[in-house]
Amino acid sequence: MAIIDDVRSIIAQSLKIPVEKLTPETRLEELGAESLDVIEIVFALEEKFDIAIPLRADEATRLTKTNDGGGAAKPGQSGDQELPFSTVGDVAEIVEKLVAAKAAAR
Amino acid sequence: MNRVVITGIGVVTPIGSTREKFWSSLIEARSGIGPITIVPTERLNTRIAAQVLDFNPADHFEPKRQGLLDRFSQFAVVAARAAVQDAQLQITDEIALQAATIVGNSTGGMNTLDDSFYRLYGENGIRPHPLTIPRLMSNAACSLISMDLGLKGPTFTVASACASGTHAVGQAFQMVRTGLAPIALTGGSEACLTVGTIKAWEALRVLSPDTCRPFSKTRSGLVLGEGAAMFVLETREHAIARGAPIYAELLGFGMSADAADITAIDPDGAARAMRAALTDAKVNPADVDYVNAHGTGTLLNDKGETVALRQAFGDAADHLAVSSSKAVLGHSLGAAGAVELAATALALHNQIIPPTANFEEADPECDLDYVPNTARNAPIKNAMSSSFAFGGLNAVLVLGRA
Repeated sequence: MAIIDDVRSIIAQSLKIPVEKLTPETRLEELGAESLDVIEIVFALEEKFDIAIPLRADEATRLTKTNDGGGAAKPGQSGDQELPFSTVGDVAEIVEKLVAAKAAAR
Repeated sequence: MNRVVITGIGVVTPIGSTREKFWSSLIEARSGIGPITIVPTERLNTRIAAQVLDFNPADHFEPKRQGLLDRFSQFAVVAARAAVQDAQLQITDEIALQAATIVGNSTGGMNTLDDSFYRLYGENGIRPHPLTIPRLMSNAACSLISMDLGLKGPTFTVASACASGTHAVGQAFQMVRTGLAPIALTGGSEACLTVGTIKAWEALRVLSPDTCRPFSKTRSGLVLGEGAAMFVLETREHAIARGAPIYAELLGFGMSADAADITAIDPDGAARAMRAALTDAKVNPADVDYVNAHGTGTLLNDKGETVALRQAFGDAADHLAVSSSKAVLGHSLGAAGAVELAATALALHNQIIPPTANFEEADPECDLDYVPNTARNAPIKNAMSSSFAFGGLNAVLVLGRA
């Protein structure tokens, strides 16, 4: 199963919406995801893929809104690289990078 | 209705465990935030907290007694003793029978709970220590204060997360004001810097990786703290009759619930509590000079609190000095409201406004006077101390110069 499918199913489950509604372009904001929802989604992704996604609640609030200030998560502990976190595809991309980094570190 | 004054202040805090040291650290913006040393850090991502490092329980308790007190009760009892001493209060039989003891804490003996459950689940221990329950129960601190000082009147614990201390003092204030108790020992205490609690806060993703910068554009979240502050409240008449020192007068108390989000501040709810406190105090917004803010250093709180202050104070907000002591104290949860009330009362007493430390850059969404980094000599007639808790529970006290 591709990572994007897992991401879709985790987001769908967390927000209690049918998974068919989620495309890579779907924005978390339009799904009504609030700060705590995002934190629960990130938690579920971390558990599923055994990765750590360093995202503060402050950022989660800002990042789910489309490009309004900030607009980027810092998937590296020291913010080496900034990635957006507003669509389902963005989330999948962050997870893919972290999963790849984990595999490379082995 | 009685007029109610604060005649004794006792503190155990990351910036000092005497009233004098607490106050000098506060106005000199000396931070109590530093590397975590009181618990093992291997499993923590968070590296910093505001810990009480100069506290040795053996200095205060007999070895046998010490085993009965969780750290949060130790803080509470030591602060309560200091408050009574500060108030120069002789606890006569008559006072003992009537005095109220009302203490705020958001949890209970978390060190006890963490240790005990670690032994049980982590080390497959067979039996917890027999004092586990009396140590960890939420009312342990207030019960142990009443036992230590022999106070036998109305005694209970108030729990409303980060507003616990303020709700507790507000309750005690009402009791002295209405004559239910002539004297009250009240405040807040919290000691929950355990591995389990810190991990749980990490999961909420609101902790700052570096430090606490309330109202600054560069703020990056809150920093957990611990500590206690206790007060002696009594009627103004009683205080004057016995020649007691008076730090400040309690004028009003306001409460509200947001009935909205479980974690995010609701400016309307916060503003309603502020207005209720001002109405109760019969003080006009324009007559308040200083607000000791909740100011946690998270993006949402500080922005929402600014909106709430503007709602409650209107045009008067432009002339208001607002500062957050959490920049140096961290967030001691259930104790925070009480510790910050100590800061507010001492500001009135000394006529000095403590600064918001670690202030780096103004945020267009936080557009008030936050007294950045440097204390200010200014006449303070009335002041406000605010607490807004998770669960949307708000408590605000208004104080006047004695």
